[in-house]
Amino acid sequence: MSFLDIHDLGARYGSLRVLDGIDLSVEQGEVVSLIGPSGSGKSTLLKVITGLMKPDRGRVTLAGAAVDYSNRKSLKAARDRLAIVFQQYNLFGNMTVLRNVTVAPTTIKKRNRRQVEEKARELLDRVGLGDKLHVYPDQLSGGQQQRVAIARALCLEPEILLLDEVTSALDPERVSEVLDTIRLLAKDNIAMLIVSHEMSFVRDVSHRIAFMADGRVQEIGSPEQIFDNPQTDRTRDFVGRISRVGH
Amino acid sequence: MHYTLHFGQVTPEIPYLLWGALISLELSVMAFAGGMVIGMVGAIMRLRGGRWLSRLARWYVTFFTNTPQLVQIYFIFFALPEVGILLDPFPAVLLGMTLNAGGYLTEILRAGLASVHQQELDAAETLGMSHLQTLRYVILPHIFKVVMPAMTNQYILMTLGTSMAAIFGVEELTGRAFNINSTTFRSIEIFLLTGGIYVLVTLAATSLLALVGRYAFRARVRIL
Ligand SMILES: Nc1ncnc2c1ncn2[C@@H]1O[C@H](COP(=O)(O)OP(=O)(O)OP(=O)(O)O)[C@@H](O)[C@H]1O
Ligand SMILES: [Mg+2]
Repeated sequence: MSFLDIHDLGARYGSLRVLDGIDLSVEQGEVVSLIGPSGSGKSTLLKVITGLMKPDRGRVTLAGAAVDYSNRKSLKAARDRLAIVFQQYNLFGNMTVLRNVTVAPTTIKKRNRRQVEEKARELLDRVGLGDKLHVYPDQLSGGQQQRVAIARALCLEPEILLLDEVTSALDPERVSEVLDTIRLLAKDNIAMLIVSHEMSFVRDVSHRIAFMADGRVQEIGSPEQIFDNPQTDRTRDFVGRISRVGH
Repeated sequence: MHYTLHFGQVTPEIPYLLWGALISLELSVMAFAGGMVIGMVGAIMRLRGGRWLSRLARWYVTFFTNTPQLVQIYFIFFALPEVGILLDPFPAVLLGMTLNAGGYLTEILRAGLASVHQQELDAAETLGMSHLQTLRYVILPHIFKVVMPAMTNQYILMTLGTSMAAIFGVEELTGRAFNINSTTFRSIEIFLLTGGIYVLVTLAATSLLALVGRYAFRARVRIL
């Protein structure tokens, strides 16, 4: 079985059905990207996987264990294996960069403080912020904040990293620094599920790409398949449109 | 036509006034603390309480911020005995000030709570924080940073408001000024001095709050 296995997942906001039978899997160390029109349910899918929103049908299996989202222990076990970075406002404004990265491993997961700090420094070095350890988030640019958020996610040593449009709130010139950071990680054998509108990045970094619309995965395949030889009209339509506007 | 200030009769009374200032301080600190508790509960009810709890909190705020505090205290002082609750002046004034502060602080804290980004809360939750941990590490520091200036203002108003206690016979700073006035009749000197002591007390309090705000919560507040 795949590392993350999603079967027939459904979710809704009130009477609005947003996820309508999602089937998707991510292997260990695999990078899978989700693309699709605005409102197709990509963010909602990540929210359900991380337990921020309850599914109303279907099943999520993580590392061989079915996740029971109404059971705190089961949810906690799942969250121990994953980490997520959002579009913006990830960081805690009242904590320094270093503290943002170390707060969860030390105070929540009770890991050894010295080891965690060492690891945090190393990660912040890797994302190019080794000199900003004691600075507060509002003293950083948006791109720098997102790189801290990624470092923080990694400090949890997750087996899978979920990224929800981490560059879409950034100025164009900041986008590449964050994408480069993610590319670097992709080589690290950590599984990733990436929601992004940066098509050239998605094509470059993903092992597989899933095209979502209307709360379902309409097509999933290699980057070549999705971009050069899509199998469904809807995928062709979307990819055609998005490459015409020059993404 | 020229009035000459004579502090001679008044200066020996300074220690007596300062002890009164201590009672004022006590009153304002306790009412503020109680008001904070009401305010936190009220703010959470307003934002997360669902329809009825939120409405209840709104009514509370409307009532206590739209009637004079003096009237509220009078009401407590004279209405409660009718239902068999007899309060001494100090606790009666304290209760009135606390309920009143609760109304204002609900509004202040609500604004702070509303400014916490949902994504920050989501991040806390997925990082594994419990509700209490989120409150302690994320929500409260954020709120205090945002509302520190408004809270400091509220505290100053309350410190000055303690002078109302004199009307009910509490011998705090203003009450003691009344006492000295009725024996020496040096009104101008006495109330100049009393005003000066109020300035010192509020300045000390604002500086202290500003220090706490700046160093504990990184609030952008000016110290003096
Ligand atoms: N908090 C909410 N309450 C009610 N409806 C919501 C909420 N969040 C999202 N929705 C609705 O759910 C649907 C899916 O939203 P979602 O955010 O998952 O889309 P998305 O694919 O991430 O879109 P985008 O590319 O714009 O981020 C949309 O129709 C949206 O209006
Ligand atoms: Mg989205």
